[in-house]
Amino acid sequence: MAVFEAGMEAMVDMYIFETTSLLEQLDQTLIKTESDKNFGEEEINEIFRVMHTIKGSSSMMGLENMARIAHIIEDMFFIIREDKPVIGSVESLYELIFTASDLMKSEIELVQEEDHVLTDFSDCCNKMSAFAEALKNGGTAAPAAEASASAEAPAPAAKAGGDGEDHLTTVRIHFEDDCKMENLRALLVVSKITEDCSHLEYIPSDIENNSDASKDIIENGFFVRFAPASDTNADNVLSIIAETANVKSYEIIDMAGESFSTSAPSSGDAVMVKVTFDDDCKMENLRALLVVNNIKDYCKELSFEPSDIESNANSASVIVENGFLVRFTSTMPEEVIKMIETTPNVKAYQFVGESVEAELEAVVPVAAAVPAVTVSAAPAVKEAPKPQPPAVKSAEPALPAESRSLDQLNNMLNTKGGAKQSLISVNLNKLDTLQDLVGEIVITEAMVTSNPDLKGLRLDNFQKAARQLRKLNSELQDTVMSIRMVPLSGAFNKMTRIVRDMKVKLGKDVDLVFEGEDTEVDKSIIDQLNDPLMHMVRNCMDHGIESSSEERVLAGKNPKGKLTLSAYNASGEVIIVVADDGGGINPQKVLEKAERAGILNRPPDEYTEKEVFNMIMLPGFSTNEEVTEFSGRGVGMDVVRKNIEKIGGTVSVDSRLGAGSSFTIKIPLSLSIVDGMEVSVGDSIFTIPINSIRESFKVKANQLVKDTSGREMIMIRGECFPLIRLYELYDLNPNTQDLYEGIVILVEAERRCACIFADELIGEQQVVVKPFSPLLNNYNIKANGMAGCSILGDGSITIILDVNNIITDF
Amino acid sequence: MTNETYALDTIDNSKHHSDGIEVLFFTLGDTIYGIEIKYINEIIGIEDITVVPKIPPHVKGVINIRGKVVPVISIRRRFYMEEIPYDDRTCIIVIEFNDGNQVGIIVDRVQEVVVVKKEYISRTPDYKNVNTNRYIKNIIEINEDIKLLLDCDKLILDD
Repeated sequence: MAVFEAGMEAMVDMYIFETTSLLEQLDQTLIKTESDKNFGEEEINEIFRVMHTIKGSSSMMGLENMARIAHIIEDMFFIIREDKPVIGSVESLYELIFTASDLMKSEIELVQEEDHVLTDFSDCCNKMSAFAEALKNGGTAAPAAEASASAEAPAPAAKAGGDGEDHLTTVRIHFEDDCKMENLRALLVVSKITEDCSHLEYIPSDIENNSDASKDIIENGFFVRFAPASDTNADNVLSIIAETANVKSYEIIDMAGESFSTSAPSSGDAVMVKVTFDDDCKMENLRALLVVNNIKDYCKELSFEPSDIESNANSASVIVENGFLVRFTSTMPEEVIKMIETTPNVKAYQFVGESVEAELEAVVPVAAAVPAVTVSAAPAVKEAPKPQPPAVKSAEPALPAESRSLDQLNNMLNTKGGAKQSLISVNLNKLDTLQDLVGEIVITEAMVTSNPDLKGLRLDNFQKAARQLRKLNSELQDTVMSIRMVPLSGAFNKMTRIVRDMKVKLGKDVDLVFEGEDTEVDKSIIDQLNDPLMHMVRNCMDHGIESSSEERVLAGKNPKGKLTLSAYNASGEVIIVVADDGGGINPQKVLEKAERAGILNRPPDEYTEKEVFNMIMLPGFSTNEEVTEFSGRGVGMDVVRKNIEKIGGTVSVDSRLGAGSSFTIKIPLSLSIVDGMEVSVGDSIFTIPINSIRESFKVKANQLVKDTSGREMIMIRGECFPLIRLYELYDLNPNTQDLYEGIVILVEAERRCACIFADELIGEQQVVVKPFSPLLNNYNIKANGMAGCSILGDGSITIILDVNNIITDF
Repeated sequence: MTNETYALDTIDNSKHHSDGIEVLFFTLGDTIYGIEIKYINEIIGIEDITVVPKIPPHVKGVINIRGKVVPVISIRRRFYMEEIPYDDRTCIIVIEFNDGNQVGIIVDRVQEVVVVKKEYISRTPDYKNVNTNRYIKNIIEINEDIKLLLDCDKLILDD
């Protein structure tokens, strides 16, 4: 992997897994907000967090393009969150983010390849930056009356701040990263606004002659406090500041009467938090260390008590008794708090004031005079009732000094006592190995317990132990199977995105409904399901749902279309149905098309409706006259059928003209372990999967029917089924050729039935499917009805029959 | 076969492998064949073979080798020789290919492993109408005894 530095390869899997799930989460959030037509605080924070994590991990992996695009989205949502601008074109916002998310997804797929060159995202990045810029300006134009006036929109904000105290406005200015000589740039700002100010002071004050001041400015920003001259107002001064070269951003700080010097930024927004851990989580000192490690990159200053957590194991008991005290300063305290909160085993945390350390009862944050709050949040703080008299009003009030309202802080405190992390991600290969091993154990167990050496011996204790072993083994097997089971909701959720995109592009209004999405299927099957599901959903959207709501109203239906994805368990199989309530399939049209394509091999009127519908899954078939971006090339449904059959499933189509159509997929729960019925023919043992057996019985003389060409049929309850003698089919020497002596098994596959004749039934057993060696696959034995083989308890080999192929061939 | 103990004084069965190849010799009827040892995984006695229907007659079926299902080929059948009943000298030589796939071949009896020097190895004559020649890689002539070195890839994969 050329892209990654040495030592990073090990992280690649983790990174890909994590980023992919984050991007999926992003899509979910976006789709939800899009349908609600509203960005809630929660959602914005969510997107913000997702992007932040992606940015962090991408730059760690050295994927600068990913980091950059994530950074821009983060910026954009920062503006949305802080300014709450009136977004002019919500559609284009969604379009941009969805595009970006798609770009990132494809990049994630690409990074796994050798010699991958980082894709250039600058096109998308530029678009988004432009949009973000527009948002900013839009914020300026937005009505200033709202309490959430933009901090970066100078006009209203300056008023809000400036009207406070003697028309003094305090501004913290940030310069562009890497612009160099920040002190001189600060001086430039000062000299530019001097004329328009009647009063002007700034920190650091020695910018002119002390080049070290630039460091201070980079870290804390450049503070300017001014009163506008009488012939101008604060707005003008602010716009001058904004226009000065290299100024990246500035924020207005409400001083609330505090003296200027005390707001020295490094200590002014120190936050003190007491962290408590889950009871009995053990090694509290190391957990505390974890907290420290998690947040240290985001903190400018960081101290904690007890301080010797790393080296002193006894500090654990101190933490249990008194809690773990962390004091930090940061430009984004709320992020830090969030990080503390999400660290494993953290039960709760409280904000505490330093001077009242002893009385740490205050669960609610002490929301006293917030020394530095951006204007946008200031009103909220002022209006919020103070739940407790300010506990601290010392020179160093310990408070989260950011634009977070009290309510939110309360929420943060009350929710999330600390859910224990109980999920881990495991490499699928390990699970495969585990499952193989369990399969071997099951076989070996049978080898031991039904060992021929034991025959005729009376072994009561042995049998007892063997029974116990069998019970445990079957539990083990079930557990391993269940580990591999994944709910279908993941696959279903992917469809929301597709439906959403198609809704926009096709101009159809469709509701996507899920039913039973928590039905579980083996992971290896889920992976194979995505493509077929996508094809079917696209088909329903494109061909199924009527192209205009008028058409639907005329047909007496809800103008809004409905697409249903449902899943349920039925007799060892999972059934997934993709259904729409659109126009349905016209069997006549299908037949005509099939006739033209030369697919028919019988006169058209001899086909049943069901057969006709299933024709749409034949290669080269598409009823849509026009090829669209989404479907109509005639490969889709054919591919769907092939893919589903590959994982041992079946697809069928049903439709009612005018009422809609549905695709039903039947798939096995798991690929590798099959419940089978063993039958013998001569010396050979065959396994027929239980789920394709309808019944087994002895034939009576009056059930046998022969057609004119001498083909044997068995009559069961008024229905005739063809008889397949296995020994004839496979050229074997049976113990009996007498139909009345052997056993007949009625099997079903794809709604076609046949009777299979064998010597005798041996019994039911779970078998682990082993594929045939490639050498044998060369001889096309799959087409001859053999799906694989398996090793039985006595070490002998059984061949697993593929009923579907046997019937089709016959 | 009677002359079990072949006096092969020309064969250096100690260290100097660089100038020769290690070959396992086995017999089919009166002929001695060899397979390069690098292909061979193990040699086992004949065991019950599970018949797999609808495959060419030279593939006798599959056997279970420690949980792996391995197809077995009869060389006699492959060379259009008459098949003889298996006895306690009948062996299955298990060959493993680079991709990890195993195939067993049934032989009448196994003789021994020897290092054959390069000078004893010659190319096969180019007779197109001799069918079995397809599977023979080289001819080994030691003390006027002719042994045939088999081409494993062709033997198993060729149809």
